[in-house]
Amino acid sequence: MYKYRAEITKGEEIRYISHLDYAGVMERAIRRAKLPAAYSEGFNPHIKIAFASALSLGVISDAEYMDFEMTKPLCQPEVFDRLSKALPPGVKLLRLKEVPEPKPCKGKKHKALMAEVQEAEYELYVPLTGYWQEAVQAVEAYNKAPEAMVHRVTPKTNKMIETKQYMLKPVKLSMAGDLLKLYMDIAITQSGSVKPGEILKLLQAEYNLPVDEPKVLIKRISMKGQGRALIDLV
Amino acid sequence: MIIKLEPEILQAVEKPARYTGHELNAVHKDWESTPCHFALALPDVYEVGMSNLGLKILYEVLNAREDTACERVYAPWIDMEEIMRQRQIPLFSLESFHAIKEFDFLGFSLQYEMIYSNVLNMLDLAGIPIWSRDRGENDPFIVGGGPCVYNTEPIADFFDFFIVGEGEELICETVDVFRSWQEAGKPEGRQGLLKRLAVLDGIYVPSFYNVTYNQQGLFADIEPACPEAKPVIYKRLIKDMDSVRFVEKPVLPYIDIVHDRIMLELFRGCTRGCRFCQAGTSYRPVRERSKDRLRELARKLIDSTGYNEMSLTSLSSADYSCLGELVDDLFSDFKDEKVSFSLPSLRIDSFSIDLAHKMQQVRKSGLTFAPEAGTQRLRDVINKGVTEENLMAATEAAFRQGWKQVKLYFMMGLPTETDEDIVGIAKLAEKVARKYKEVTGRWGVTVTISVSCFVPKPHTPFQWYGQLPEAEFHRRQRLLKDSITERAVKFNYHDARVSVLEGAIARGDRKIAQVIYQAWKDGAKFDGWNDLFKNDVWHEAFAKCGIDLHLYNERAREPEEKLPWEHTTPGVSKEFLLREYDKAIKEQLTEDCRRGKCSACGVCPSLKAKVVDWRRENV
Ligand code: SF4
Repeated sequence: MYKYRAEITKGEEIRYISHLDYAGVMERAIRRAKLPAAYSEGFNPHIKIAFASALSLGVISDAEYMDFEMTKPLCQPEVFDRLSKALPPGVKLLRLKEVPEPKPCKGKKHKALMAEVQEAEYELYVPLTGYWQEAVQAVEAYNKAPEAMVHRVTPKTNKMIETKQYMLKPVKLSMAGDLLKLYMDIAITQSGSVKPGEILKLLQAEYNLPVDEPKVLIKRISMKGQGRALIDLV
Repeated sequence: MIIKLEPEILQAVEKPARYTGHELNAVHKDWESTPCHFALALPDVYEVGMSNLGLKILYEVLNAREDTACERVYAPWIDMEEIMRQRQIPLFSLESFHAIKEFDFLGFSLQYEMIYSNVLNMLDLAGIPIWSRDRGENDPFIVGGGPCVYNTEPIADFFDFFIVGEGEELICETVDVFRSWQEAGKPEGRQGLLKRLAVLDGIYVPSFYNVTYNQQGLFADIEPACPEAKPVIYKRLIKDMDSVRFVEKPVLPYIDIVHDRIMLELFRGCTRGCRFCQAGTSYRPVRERSKDRLRELARKLIDSTGYNEMSLTSLSSADYSCLGELVDDLFSDFKDEKVSFSLPSLRIDSFSIDLAHKMQQVRKSGLTFAPEAGTQRLRDVINKGVTEENLMAATEAAFRQGWKQVKLYFMMGLPTETDEDIVGIAKLAEKVARKYKEVTGRWGVTVTISVSCFVPKPHTPFQWYGQLPEAEFHRRQRLLKDSITERAVKFNYHDARVSVLEGAIARGDRKIAQVIYQAWKDGAKFDGWNDLFKNDVWHEAFAKCGIDLHLYNERAREPEEKLPWEHTTPGVSKEFLLREYDKAIKEQLTEDCRRGKCSACGVCPSLKAKVVDWRRENV
């Protein structure tokens, strides 16, 4: 098997498709690219493809990672070109690397892509509805707080989450045109994580950040393991 | 006007990708420099609309023209509609996001009667007057097409014109006429274009006709009111299926749709002659694509989409003359690409089972058969050439191959049906269940019987028949339920309330438009969706309009009556339909003309068409 890791985007055009749909989009793109993809066994074979981390609906990204396997060796430029050409609007192939076979002496398999993720950085763009100074105060107060809880309610969960434990760096803010730009660096751990949208809601509700929260655009700008982009781990 | 949806709107609705477009293979043209703008609509939600093969074809046919930009629009789901109304966002297209009102044409694909309320709702959301008479020079022309054109009268007053029959050629002729009218400076305005269109074969302009009613208020006659209008509009059909444009680069949705796979259309038409079936009369005669053409199309479709599933669609795909060889060829063409193939419907014989077995390899999802009636007598009445032995042999073969689930489709309320026929459904299903025990020595099969309520349809031999009253449907449903004793048999029935309304609208005349309008005003929409169907609203609408529903659904028509749908015809003659009705009562069968003898239905001579079946050609 010949394994590749791709760094790809999820752009505005496909901002509102789910992670599952995004996986389907990539699977069909690989098929259109006519790459000699490896399939799972069974009566309903699927291309062997793995993603680093699911992106919430509405979030765009410059740093999605996907591992896929092929049954024949093809040189990297060939794979890059064929896949690039087959991608639909909203997905771009930024980088592509072959993942070398792990050393047999170690007797280990490839580490699953998902298990390598430790952190993700985000930019949030949101209309400011008050004064800049109020925004600065809100973010500073949050950055200084020893603890800050969010209430997560989904059809499956209903729990309180302490957010500060996941904030690897203080939240930063600046202006980008008319919009307030926030930067967050969030840890992704075995036991969980927090979403940038949740932090924004918290900042607005409890720290009086003056923003029009429903209008936010969230963009993932990196996904890392051991401090390096996932593609640089191979 | 270009519509841009704010993120807060998209975040607030279910499945926002229904409204964001940008799909692969969608065609984007420059608005200003393209002279003809044609919006194609299916009045249902995105996932349903995107699955319609007819619209996929017309989208490519129209976009192949340099002078035309064809774009898509579907019914916004109720959550989105609410927001659009609140914020006064007009209905928009999924390519350029232009307001639909700015298009030259808005074409609706009309698949079944209970979708009409959505047509009105979409017109309203677009800001286009609902009634054609209220439209002005700046409104689009509203065009209807699809299976419902064989009785357009209930919706005639909402449409500017209809395209009757297969649209590939006629829709282009329509645009040609539009372009010359446009270039001539739009002489005589809207009326001018409609007059020029009315002379084309297959175009029906309802406003060019006068309708009269008798003393009882029943439909009496319809006559042309201007020289351009033809007394009878025959459907259009494609004579050579190999040379006509087919879908090659379908728009590829980002989200799951109802038929999320390639649809390869093997042939058009089905002449098995089931007497209840409107598709069986409307798409005559059978015209096949050649095997080579199909292989070529299959390759293009796989390459342009990346799908790994392909459905070999047609009205009765197992009847395709070269099916065995085609399947073998497709298997070998796509063996490395892990493409799976399926047939949407199976014939009740072992050829079909073997083929299904081959196609499904390991996965044994349920098999579906349609015996349609519970006794041989009634199957003869409807000309369903299937015997109990056929069904037993087919299910036996299926059980031997490992299937454990069988679904059987039946209809209830067919002409001459008695309680014995109803009980016969239960008996037949139980026999199938016992066959499983006999073949495998075990229990563990599920036989699901799905029973719909018969709706007599225009241009079928049963078009004169009075539909059963709702209460009688309910009684027969209970009788059937009580007749099932075997635990392996599961019974699903359809909502008789929807069927009786469908029965009234399907054979309605122009007066029904008022009822549809009233029902829509009072909140009817998405009537095809069980949870949104508002039965009371519809019955009240009939009452408010002073129209007796039963005169439309339960009343048996006289053979000499002129019927409100005869002027838009698929070409089958009234004599043929009457002859078939008569044979039905006498329980006599009629042969399939595909490979057997012609039953003189009238289609071939009146449309100068002929059967194209490769096995027949080669004899
Ligand atoms: S005219 Fe004859 S051959 Fe043609 S569709 Fe009718 S029955 Fe079949």
